[in-house]
Amino acid sequence: MKPIIELRGVNKYYGDYHALRDIEADIGEGEFFSLLGPSGCGKTTLLRTIAGFEDVSSGTVHIGGKLMEGVPANKRPTNMVFQSYAIFPHLSVAQNVGFGLRRRSDLNAPAKQALIEDALDMVGLDGYGGRAAHALSGGQRQRVALARALILKPKVLLLDEPLSALDKKLRDQMQSELRRLQRHVGITFILVTHDQEEALIMSDRIAVMFEGRIAQLATPQQLYRRPQSRQVADFIGVMNFLPARVTGVQGDAVALEVAGLGAVQIAAEQAPGGAATGQASVGFRPETLTILFDGEAPKGRVADGVIDEVTYYGDMTYYAVRLEGVEQPLTISMRNVFGRKVLAQGEATRVAWDPGALVLFG
Amino acid sequence: MRGLRVYTIFYLIFLYAPIILLPLFAFNASTIIAFPLSGFTTEWFAELWAAPAMHQALRNSLIIAVSSAVLATCLGIFAARAATRFTFPGKGPIMGLIMLPLVLPEIIVAVSLLVVLLGVGINLGMWTVILGHVLICTPFSIAILNSAFLSLDGSLEEAAYDLGETRWSTFRLITLPLIMPGIISSLLISFTISLDEFIIAFFLTGTEPTLPVYIWSQLRFPTKIPSIMALGTILVALSIVLLIIAEYYRRLGVRKTGGKDTGGFL
Amino acid sequence: MDARTRWGRFSRSEAATGLKLISPTALYALIMLAVPLAAIVAYSFLTDGYLEIIWTPTLENYAEAWGDPLYRQVMLRSLMVAGLVTLATVLLAFPVAYYVSFYVRPGRKSLWLFLITIPFWTSYLIRVFLWKVILGFNGVVNSSLMGLGIIDEPLTFILYNVNAVVITLAHAYAPFAILPIFVALEKIDRSLLEASRDLGESTFMTFWRVTLPLAMPGVVAAVLIVFIPTIGDYVTPQLVGGPEGRMIANAIQLQYLRLDNYPLGSALAVSAMLIVTAVSLIFVFLNRRFLRVKQ
Repeated sequence: MKPIIELRGVNKYYGDYHALRDIEADIGEGEFFSLLGPSGCGKTTLLRTIAGFEDVSSGTVHIGGKLMEGVPANKRPTNMVFQSYAIFPHLSVAQNVGFGLRRRSDLNAPAKQALIEDALDMVGLDGYGGRAAHALSGGQRQRVALARALILKPKVLLLDEPLSALDKKLRDQMQSELRRLQRHVGITFILVTHDQEEALIMSDRIAVMFEGRIAQLATPQQLYRRPQSRQVADFIGVMNFLPARVTGVQGDAVALEVAGLGAVQIAAEQAPGGAATGQASVGFRPETLTILFDGEAPKGRVADGVIDEVTYYGDMTYYAVRLEGVEQPLTISMRNVFGRKVLAQGEATRVAWDPGALVLFG
Repeated sequence: MRGLRVYTIFYLIFLYAPIILLPLFAFNASTIIAFPLSGFTTEWFAELWAAPAMHQALRNSLIIAVSSAVLATCLGIFAARAATRFTFPGKGPIMGLIMLPLVLPEIIVAVSLLVVLLGVGINLGMWTVILGHVLICTPFSIAILNSAFLSLDGSLEEAAYDLGETRWSTFRLITLPLIMPGIISSLLISFTISLDEFIIAFFLTGTEPTLPVYIWSQLRFPTKIPSIMALGTILVALSIVLLIIAEYYRRLGVRKTGGKDTGGFL
Repeated sequence: MDARTRWGRFSRSEAATGLKLISPTALYALIMLAVPLAAIVAYSFLTDGYLEIIWTPTLENYAEAWGDPLYRQVMLRSLMVAGLVTLATVLLAFPVAYYVSFYVRPGRKSLWLFLITIPFWTSYLIRVFLWKVILGFNGVVNSSLMGLGIIDEPLTFILYNVNAVVITLAHAYAPFAILPIFVALEKIDRSLLEASRDLGESTFMTFWRVTLPLAMPGVVAAVLIVFIPTIGDYVTPQLVGGPEGRMIANAIQLQYLRLDNYPLGSALAVSAMLIVTAVSLIFVFLNRRFLRVKQ
């Protein structure tokens, strides 16, 4: 991967407030990269640092191999889609899209007009050029914002929570459209979002941020299956935690004693945060646990439990199951296969589990 | 609720009572301002038309009001921009001093300026009135422009800057057009305040009277009063026309930027 | 970091940009307001020596301004008139603001506000003079009342005294009271009133326990906006007040423009400023306590 953006030891202070802490990252050419985290984690600050709206307190930002210190936002090869879209209300759609071409003295008016039409066409707004900007719907505003930023052929497109203002249906549609657009233009997209599902669906790689720090930088699959910390595991999807004790670490194998499940051996790669003997905890995703119905034979190991709560979702049923000797119930998701009954609260059940699905947290 | 409505209508009558009298006496064929009315005449308007002193005072007032409105609005743009977008040391006290004329009786502004201007040896005239009027108009201008700047989404300016414009061209292409309604109301309000202001002009005008100072001097002569009524009538008619035009443009502006109409002028 | 880079950092910082932007306006206010105010404070401690100012600090001007029964009376009268005007204006204005905010259709509200403000775009001097016409010996009030046979001879207690000053000023400052109260009422979330009714309060108690406390910031603003200019008003007492209706601004004008006694005039002006400040602070303070008790 050839990096287009290199962040080295980036720190940002607002007075005493430490907004970005030792950010290290390489973002590749043509990559769809997401900054994911709860509000106030510094993801927007990092995006604005790349855009040039904030200067770094220490560390360096390189874009396309060039050091960006002292380069203001209007001179950087990046363009931004703002959270509010920032569509100029006093200009038409075409004037908005062509805004950045004003200073391009190498293009004559018809050439600019052609570029504007191409850009509108690309985002599916052909024929909208003459409309007043304030008369657009939310989804259309977003397309205008995209066309306006992409018309300048930036090396990197920065998107600040671009879907948060849309309703669910439109958001789903725009997610796949954005992904398609990114493949089509082939440039790096950096997306800021607090929605873990959105990040998982769209990104090649994701940096999860907490309190100004990158907690984990990985592909969606790695993040979901092998989160490095309980905080990351908790933020992305649902994770069941059980208290555990590491009894021995030998080469590539880790021996554990897990509450309610007993002794188990796992591979070292199942402890992405590292392992050391002593108290720890393990995590299971809800879909890696299986409830055994009458007569079903287990594939892996089995534990006994009692159904504590049943939540019926139509295609799925979520069970809270209390294992023997464990206070915290486990969440288990089961697909509602035709003909299979839904269990009731208080019923005794058996839970099948696979040691390979488990993640160890130090 | 019906009682409240009746009360409000009576209140409006109370508000309009003096204004309704203006045209009555302006067209009344008697020099005595009292009832009963004695007949219709346009003599007072003719007299007004033939009074060179009034013309001179009007010209002075217009020059002063236009200059004060422009200067106060310029100072207002600087201050409102600084107050809404930046934090800096001493912001509270500095803004407090600038806004102080709002809570200072005008006579105090007038005498304090008079003392200093005479002390420095500056001759009184239209210029000194402008100095005083800019001082009292600036806080109003800032109040209006503050809300204009606050309702401006900051990411619009960032977007323009991000698309390659400089700070100055961003201001010219984005900020200025979008706060234009605020600038126009600031100019209108400052113009009106200056045009109507009496006490500061009275103290600082020297030998170049403004319209209010001229009216004040005429009120002492009973025979001049009917033509002052005629002048008042013209002023009311003009200000109503001006207000309606301004309101029309305000609504047009609101519709153009797609905002919601949140009420009146002030 | 040496001094030059530190300066470089500062001059690009937000604080420096803000200070640069504010400086023209701030300098203007400094030269045209702060310096003159300091000058009259300084003058108030000097002595008027007919042809020149005597440069020895003295408290005599204040002794005269506060000790002389004439000036003391003028100051007390100003305070009383401003208080009465404020009370009358705010009390009369509240129902109007309430009506427009709660009972007028949203689309018509700006029209009503427009109607309320129109009279005040007329020359202030002419408006005050018209009150002289209305209240005068042969004025509108007297001729109407005599015409209706209610009185036999003209009322004389309505012109050239404090009553006339109060009526005229209460008219002049009406919109200044209506607008802030209206704005405060507009900000009240209507569901709060429904919640209060839902919790069993009557219309009146809802007004008393919910609407009024939430409208208090507007009332406070209205009181200050009316009180401060009325106490320093010059035109109204001069035109309709007569000798017994003179207020502090008339006394200051007399000292400056007629008697040429700048030090005494300055002492009176500084006293007026002190009164305005003190009354405003007391009012805001009392109100804060009232609001806190209410909460």
